[in-house]
Amino acid sequence: MLGKLIKHEFKSTYKVGCLLLGATVLITLFGWLAFQSPLWSNTENARYSVNLMDIVSVFMMIMYVVMLIGVVYGTYIYLSLHFYKTMYTDQGYLLHTLPVTKHEILGTKILVSGVWVLLTMIAITLSVILFVVACFTSVFRADGYTMASAWQEIRSYLLDLPAWFNIEFGWDMTGTLVFWGIGILVSPFVTMTILFGAISLGQLFTKYRVVMAIVCYIGISIIRSLIESVSQWLMIPLQNSGVGNYVNFHTVFSLAVTLLMAVVLYFISWMVTSRKLNMQ
Amino acid sequence: MSELIEIVGLTKEYDARHIAVNNINLTLPKGKIIGLLGPNGSGKTTLIKMINGLLTPTRGTIRINGYEIGVETKSHVAYLPDRTYLAGNQKISDILDYFCDFYEDFSPEKAIAMLQSLNIDPNSKMGILSKGTKEKVQLILVMSRNADLYILDEPIAGVDPAARDYILRTIINNYNPNATVIISTHLIGDIEQVLDEVIFMRYGYLVLYTSVDNIREQHGKSVDAYFREVFAC
Repeated sequence: MLGKLIKHEFKSTYKVGCLLLGATVLITLFGWLAFQSPLWSNTENARYSVNLMDIVSVFMMIMYVVMLIGVVYGTYIYLSLHFYKTMYTDQGYLLHTLPVTKHEILGTKILVSGVWVLLTMIAITLSVILFVVACFTSVFRADGYTMASAWQEIRSYLLDLPAWFNIEFGWDMTGTLVFWGIGILVSPFVTMTILFGAISLGQLFTKYRVVMAIVCYIGISIIRSLIESVSQWLMIPLQNSGVGNYVNFHTVFSLAVTLLMAVVLYFISWMVTSRKLNMQ
Repeated sequence: MSELIEIVGLTKEYDARHIAVNNINLTLPKGKIIGLLGPNGSGKTTLIKMINGLLTPTRGTIRINGYEIGVETKSHVAYLPDRTYLAGNQKISDILDYFCDFYEDFSPEKAIAMLQSLNIDPNSKMGILSKGTKEKVQLILVMSRNADLYILDEPIAGVDPAARDYILRTIINNYNPNATVIISTHLIGDIEQVLDEVIFMRYGYLVLYTSVDNIREQHGKSVDAYFREVFAC
């Protein structure tokens, strides 16, 4: 049944999901166009050559950033609304009367939403890389930079970075990069689990359930920030044992706190749907 | 075992002053068409939602075929809610696929035949259908299952008399004869002729559970007339 649930969940979310990914492609094109103004290839004389086209291109750059942020928030808002509608409004009558377990329902929702967030994150990362490369090639076009040469330079810089950190700070970045990689991979699923947990907590109230879900999410975020702030304060002595140790410990601790919160909120969602469900 | 549903001490409290269902004890047999009758706010829909696992009881238990409400009971209960629960952007054909995937007892052939008899295009989206047609589609989905228990919450409310006749015909002609059908309605006169038994509810309490024949023999009245007498304002 889990496979069938996942199939139908993708089916009901793919249109908006693909629309948001398509929007990221268009926004990337938009950002690339922003760097085609002569302003960027003639930065030294920019003071004397600013014209309407240049103002438009700066505006386009700002718009690029705003629109990418819009895609990120749009994805989270859409997936949260989809969860709320299919779980706790009239559409939930269909889902909650299916012969499937609540773990299967919640697992499906988290998995599919997490995949969409992950795809959006990948699309945005690629967009930003292309944007940076477009920036390099436009600004340094006079110095003979091309897309390929700019990319080559960024790549070699990134590859040299761990060795540089090791020499300068005695920080072996391998472990840090592994933790960061794990964090990046699990964060879409963890974020959606926390969001869904907040929405489920809102259902425990008899009135204003959507407002209460938002209040719960704000509360969860505050608790998370407080734990991280306290942990940073407690980790101050670690700074003396080297940057690497400090960053590694901080990364692992943040990851552990987030995962723990996600586990707690998953069980809250499960409790609400299996023991406290009150479809109005 | 001839009992299908066993309800013991079932209570649903929203708060201390609002008790929707109050300490109901009820055992329903297999193979009957049962009318769940009562005025507005009597607790009919709350009881139905608890049987379907959409509401968690405050106290008491419900067992269907000996199982507590869960995966096993849901695979044998076909439920028609009192509202449109299908998303407007869904095509009817997609919904048929959905039911095929999750309910082993669902017959797509039966559903398509019923849709064709009503000239409803399976490629239509739910959002463009009229209220009456949406209700018919939902009823077709339910009656295309070979379930042990059909629960129909207000299936004939808000539709014209011709549609009412169609809905009642569909229920009578398509339900599994070994199954029990529970029909909740205010329109007793329209369904009285198909009922075997009736449950009367008021203010969350079970007032009466008896056979239709018993009402006619003991009180010399139709169910509709007896209902009006019991629930006279």
